Amino acid sequence: MEKNGKSLRNLLSVKWIILFTGIAGSHLLFAQQSLETLYRLTGDAVTGVFEPQREVIQNCSAVIYNKRDEIAYGVVISKDGYILTKASEIQIEEKSEEEAKDKAEPEGEKKSEDKAKPDGKEKSKPGKEFKLPIPEGLPPGTKIEDAGAIVLAVRVDKQEFDEVKIVHIDKKWDVALIKVDAQDLTPAEFAPDSKLEQGTWVVVNGATSRTKRRVLAGIISAQAREIPKDGVVGLGLVLEKVKDKLQVKDVSKGGGADLAGVKVNDIIVNLEQKKVAELKDIAEILVGKKPGEEVKLTVKRAGKDVELTVKLAILAGSEKPMDRNDQMSGDFSERRSDFPRVIQHDILANSNTMGGPVLNMKGQVVGMNIARANRCETYAIPVEELQVIAKEMLEHSFK
Amino acid sequence: MKGAFIYSSALWVIATLGFVPMAAHAFPLNEKKAPETQEDLMLIQQTLLASIPKAKAATVSIDLGNGFGSGVIVSKEGLVMTAAHVSGGVGKKVTIIMPDGTKHKANTLGLMAETDAALVQITDTGEYPFVELNRTGNINLGDWVFSLGHSGGFNKERGAVARLARLVRVANTTYQTDGTLIGGDSGGPLFDLDGKLIGIHSRVGPQLPVNMHVPVQVFIDNWEPMMKSEFMGEGPFAQKPIKGNGMLGVATKSVEAGLEITKVGKKTAAEKAELKVGDVIRKVDGKEVKTREELQTIIKDKSAGEELELEILRDGKERKITAELAER
Repeated sequence: MEKNGKSLRNLLSVKWIILFTGIAGSHLLFAQQSLETLYRLTGDAVTGVFEPQREVIQNCSAVIYNKRDEIAYGVVISKDGYILTKASEIQIEEKSEEEAKDKAEPEGEKKSEDKAKPDGKEKSKPGKEFKLPIPEGLPPGTKIEDAGAIVLAVRVDKQEFDEVKIVHIDKKWDVALIKVDAQDLTPAEFAPDSKLEQGTWVVVNGATSRTKRRVLAGIISAQAREIPKDGVVGLGLVLEKVKDKLQVKDVSKGGGADLAGVKVNDIIVNLEQKKVAELKDIAEILVGKKPGEEVKLTVKRAGKDVELTVKLAILAGSEKPMDRNDQMSGDFSERRSDFPRVIQHDILANSNTMGGPVLNMKGQVVGMNIARANRCETYAIPVEELQVIAKEMLEHSFK
Repeated sequence: MKGAFIYSSALWVIATLGFVPMAAHAFPLNEKKAPETQEDLMLIQQTLLASIPKAKAATVSIDLGNGFGSGVIVSKEGLVMTAAHVSGGVGKKVTIIMPDGTKHKANTLGLMAETDAALVQITDTGEYPFVELNRTGNINLGDWVFSLGHSGGFNKERGAVARLARLVRVANTTYQTDGTLIGGDSGGPLFDLDGKLIGIHSRVGPQLPVNMHVPVQVFIDNWEPMMKSEFMGEGPFAQKPIKGNGMLGVATKSVEAGLEITKVGKKTAAEKAELKVGDVIRKVDGKEVKTREELQTIIKDKSAGEELELEILRDGKERKITAELAER
């Protein structure tokens, strides 16, 4: 599957991109003096000074492959092979209940269970299971490796593991717990907290060879905070054009319009004191508005105008449209919003370098990279939350 | 060339004043090609941590109505340095957003359309946090620097985003750093590690480490004309206003009291200013208008982005309405 960002990179036709959100332009100026690559932030002369931190990365940053391709990094959290990574980058899906059931109960047993039902004894539900997506409709005899299915492998330090078990995922944080069959790994040491001032050094896994991990360093670049869900804000209504008016056909339960008291069959009169006759009129009025903002909505109900205040929310399943900043960002994570709290750093990264540890200068984990948001912002789950997530998932796996 | 330029101007200082101006406490690691020890790294961090708070307090977001840029306050009275493609013109009204979200009215002053430099003055009176310019001329290839900016627009919870970088290219009108910038950063400040302003963010190349800034020296050399609101140069970062390219977007007929609006065009300046059919325009910019031609003459003398002060009659009451002309 090709990433949006990668395909868009080709669309960048201008030489320079002016950094103002909204207006495009191009200009070329010639520079005279240039610093050798060696001495730049990503150059060996600089990254080489981070050797003590690199040695830690070498051991606790797992590299996750789909066949030969690096698709993510991970944080080694136990000697015996438990590793945390970014779930959506390795495309783990939760098995539907049916699939899980089918596997747990072959045909014959299913019938016996049906028979057992009259006793009132329900067989306990099988635990959640996780799978990697497998393409459907393969010709018989096709190996799934050849058919584009994901085949995971993990490298830690110089060891390679071909058997990778998916233990659990935390959808809220987009974190997966995976397990490889190991005995002697060096787990990451967690820092006591992630309270780092803006400007503090952090170090991550920057690149990988068979035997060696390279590091990149940067700074904590912004305040820790929640990243609200991206998407299109809306009222939470299904509208239908009836003659030249918009009528409410359905109200999303628990949505802004529902909470404000909009009812099915209401006719939309005004939004923000502006007449609306078309869906695009509503879209135009809502453009640039943020979730949580309130708008005034007037509806006609039983011949009377009713004034309501609707709190806007992100519409379920909507995606933020690509903007200019996304286009100039190249590669970014598919999931890069809806995190309860993140810390942010300025280290160059890609969507396939997420999931790895973020170290402080003591070589302790202060976070786990969770999203490449754009060309200058990368988010990491703070160590406080990461430890809770890890603990909960480990407990689950031992049940 | 840039190196030569800096060098020769330094010589000029020596020749006329007889001494080399002291570089105000230059960051010692700039003398090394690269940090050598973890202690060196900690010195970078320590210096940066000390500089960020003051630099951040003066780093503002600029709301232009149709987008966002950044800027940095350089005087107690609220003078702001930014990029020409952010200010976009001379004498325009913009809104400055302080780090705590407070908004201030501001007017754009002069700009340099060829190098992307501009000044903006906050018009609300007050005392503003500001940064100092590095006026030593002692800014060199390989220097450790940091960028601040309201990347992607203002976000109070996040605050201005910091990026550590080195100066990787130096030319007369451009610095390049390897600290990544993005839309919304434009016009934001580039600092030396001691927190003195050395440049203003301008543009980026397609590759991540290609990020361009206007050297502070460009501002210093053109300070007076910029303060006098001069529009210098011809593009590409700002276009001179073109007289007569503005449009209000109404159809009118002459009536006894003035010009009655018979039609308001969709998505026009008139609609935006909430002019309505039936409104009677009595005066524009203080001048009485009785005919369509009189209104057109006034508009022809202005350009898109400029404002019209309208005095109108609506439902028998006098009203004042300001309309910003749209581009024809």
